[in-house]
Amino acid sequence: MTDRLEMRAMTKKYGDFTANDKVSFSLAAGEVHAIVGENGAGKTTLMRMLYGMEQPTSGEIVLNGKLVVFRGPEDAIRNGIGMVHQHFMLFGEFSVTENIVIGYEPKQAGFFKRNDANDKVRALSEQYRIPINPQAKVASCSIGEQQRVEILKVLYQGADIIVLDEPTAVLTPLEVRDLLQTIRNLAESGKSVILITHKLQEVMEVADRITVLRGGKVTGTVSRDETNADDLARLMVGRELQELSERIPLEPLPLLQVEKLTVRDKQTLLDQVSFTVHHGEIVGIAGVSGNGQSELLQAISGLRAAQEGTVRLGGKDVTNKSVAIIRDAGLAHIPEDRYLWGTAKLSSVEENALMGYQRKPAYNRRGVVLREKFRQVVKGWVEQFAIKTGSRQLQELAGNLSGGNLQKLIVARELGHETPFLIAAEPTRGVDIGAMEYIHQALIEKRNQGDGILLVSSELSEILALSDRILVMYKGRIAGELSRLEATEEKISVIMAGGSIHGSNQRAI
Amino acid sequence: MAAIKELSKSLVQPLLAVVIGLLTGALVIAAVGESILGTYQEMWKGAFGSFYFFTSTLARATPIMLIALGLSLAFRAGVFNLGAEGQMVLGAVSAALVAIYLPAPGMIKIVAGICTGMAVGGFWALLPGFMEARFRIPLLISTLLFNYIAVLFASYLVTEPFRDRSGSAALAQTVMLEKSAWLPKLFAGMSVHAGFLFAIVAALLLFWVLRFTPFGYEVKMLGQNSLFAQYGGINRTRVMLTGMFASGGLAGLAGTVEVMGAHYRFVDGALTVPGFAWTGLMAALLANSHPLGIIVTSILLAAFQTGAMGVERNTDVPLELASVIQAVLILFISAKFSYDWWKKRKAKGGETHGAL
Repeated sequence: MTDRLEMRAMTKKYGDFTANDKVSFSLAAGEVHAIVGENGAGKTTLMRMLYGMEQPTSGEIVLNGKLVVFRGPEDAIRNGIGMVHQHFMLFGEFSVTENIVIGYEPKQAGFFKRNDANDKVRALSEQYRIPINPQAKVASCSIGEQQRVEILKVLYQGADIIVLDEPTAVLTPLEVRDLLQTIRNLAESGKSVILITHKLQEVMEVADRITVLRGGKVTGTVSRDETNADDLARLMVGRELQELSERIPLEPLPLLQVEKLTVRDKQTLLDQVSFTVHHGEIVGIAGVSGNGQSELLQAISGLRAAQEGTVRLGGKDVTNKSVAIIRDAGLAHIPEDRYLWGTAKLSSVEENALMGYQRKPAYNRRGVVLREKFRQVVKGWVEQFAIKTGSRQLQELAGNLSGGNLQKLIVARELGHETPFLIAAEPTRGVDIGAMEYIHQALIEKRNQGDGILLVSSELSEILALSDRILVMYKGRIAGELSRLEATEEKISVIMAGGSIHGSNQRAI
Repeated sequence: MAAIKELSKSLVQPLLAVVIGLLTGALVIAAVGESILGTYQEMWKGAFGSFYFFTSTLARATPIMLIALGLSLAFRAGVFNLGAEGQMVLGAVSAALVAIYLPAPGMIKIVAGICTGMAVGGFWALLPGFMEARFRIPLLISTLLFNYIAVLFASYLVTEPFRDRSGSAALAQTVMLEKSAWLPKLFAGMSVHAGFLFAIVAALLLFWVLRFTPFGYEVKMLGQNSLFAQYGGINRTRVMLTGMFASGGLAGLAGTVEVMGAHYRFVDGALTVPGFAWTGLMAALLANSHPLGIIVTSILLAAFQTGAMGVERNTDVPLELASVIQAVLILFISAKFSYDWWKKRKAKGGETHGAL
């Protein structure tokens, strides 16, 4: 294999901050080369330089043996480099074909030749085994299909090097499997793929070589056959990963009792859901997003009315009570969408931390919030969770924090309520490995203290690592329940997709 | 310290808007053919040129300030109260009637009048708030339409049942308040009255409430992200209704102090014609709903109006100069609004996930 692309000693400085420090990287024809690293390790900066969106401070890019300088993405595209961004750049009202050929439409005398375009797209789709319906409207395509449209667009533009930026973050497990297959297909037909991710299992499955970045520097370039996920994690974090604490078995006293909970909004979103969370138990809810998990959490926490059924928390009936009453009864809540529910972006870190504490007697005197006293508490959280708040510290606007740091702030705030029951929805979405470890450890400790946790996560690995019991949701119902011992990723995936696991070898699609 | 910094920061943009407003005004003056500098000198003199003019400006600023403070509380909670005019007028007419017909000594009349004016203004604002909470009738529309009901009803009261038939029959107005029920003037012979002090106290009080109390915090969070507030257990309806009541109460107080400190009777149109409510709206927007900023912006807007009167007295430039400058201010404020809105949308679309 000859090197199709070589990036030599790439350095990028923003003022005093060095985002990339002499990063070298090479890519052979037909190779899948993964770049892994925590948030802020410099993965995206490196790719932005390759794609001409940033100019390197020093270093050079050699493409097919020739030194090249890209002034912008157009240059990169012309030289056969294509990027599939994490956020798709598609026109929902246009067809798949129109989205793929946009900018490079087959034309005759100024007229768009739609049939030619459709034929070309179909041919590409067959050549690379990327199934797609050229005439479908993009808005009606699933996320996985939209991603395939993006990949085909890049191929249509003649890319030999395809950069995929966190491609699996938005996909369901089945779509992930399809995508990884597509990546292998592309490599087999001679394309080179750069895969940016922090999910190590996927890397181990699909990559030929892996480059690990930490703090803007390369900490290792290894071939897949010589490494494993643990080694990669160590290279990423720079230390040994900690084992989670032992789970202490506790007497299972019921804490949250949900019975026949039903939520309707034109159609039934939550259908007769019943389950119990006990003291000292983490109950994980798995499922493809949109199968009723959000409605379940909102109904339990008082953000949405339930039409039928009851919710009891600590023996108290809290069905359709106000959020304030339910929180007083012992609920804390890490919300699934931190920007929509969890923060006020234009307020300071401190004010975001204050939510729910503003009327607690400990922080109130004669009708005045004791901000100074509370500030000390927030400072403790910032230290404990290593939250990077930026130059204005606690007065920094929450919207200026990175997603991971904001998530840590929310987790700290909700754990700080020290309630017997916690809803943890996507508690580690977008946070790096170090923080993820910390949050997982904190959840286990809370469990060991005898508190109950309802965990919802789209990461099966997270569900499996933390849960004592796993419920799988499908179409608004609980489609299956697995104990910690019997649960495997395979079994959960099958139920998530609407299958059943009666008889251990039976597999349904 | 932080408060001062925050205040000065929130004043940069409005000052810029004012400067551009004055520049546009200069174009108008030039078009009329007058000296720009001379005209603005006259304007300055008309607003601040002597102690008399200065106190007139403060008197004019009083209702503007009170209304702006009320609106700012609503805006902070993310509630759009456009009904200040009706709340002010209804508060004023009730206060006048109580102060006239309550058989009690002057001091009691004053207190009862003020309480009635605030309560009536508050309840008049509470009603659309309740309609929103119960029936989801948009506040923006209901508060606006409630103005017509209030203003016309007050007008009816003083043209029919409570009309002063003793003096000149031409004006629709109540009889005069007894002298003992008048709010004292701050300086003999000057028009500024005790209402101005009420406004300053209200501004300080509102600043304190918003900054230091749990309620102020909840108002702010509700205004910034109502879903976050809801998620955190803040009762949106309660905060909204409290905000509407306080907002209407302050507007009612604005009308009341005009009645008890300036006109000594309720005169039909005396509160609506000068456009106090709309100037108050502008003062609140210009100050970005900051209570202390509102002290500055309402005096400033009042100064444009009293200054323009001076301009009209002494030059050929018409009174409408003030309207031109104000119109430019409105343009700039609304431009800021759409800019913020656009920025917010953009921020929502371009959330950064994953790697840096």
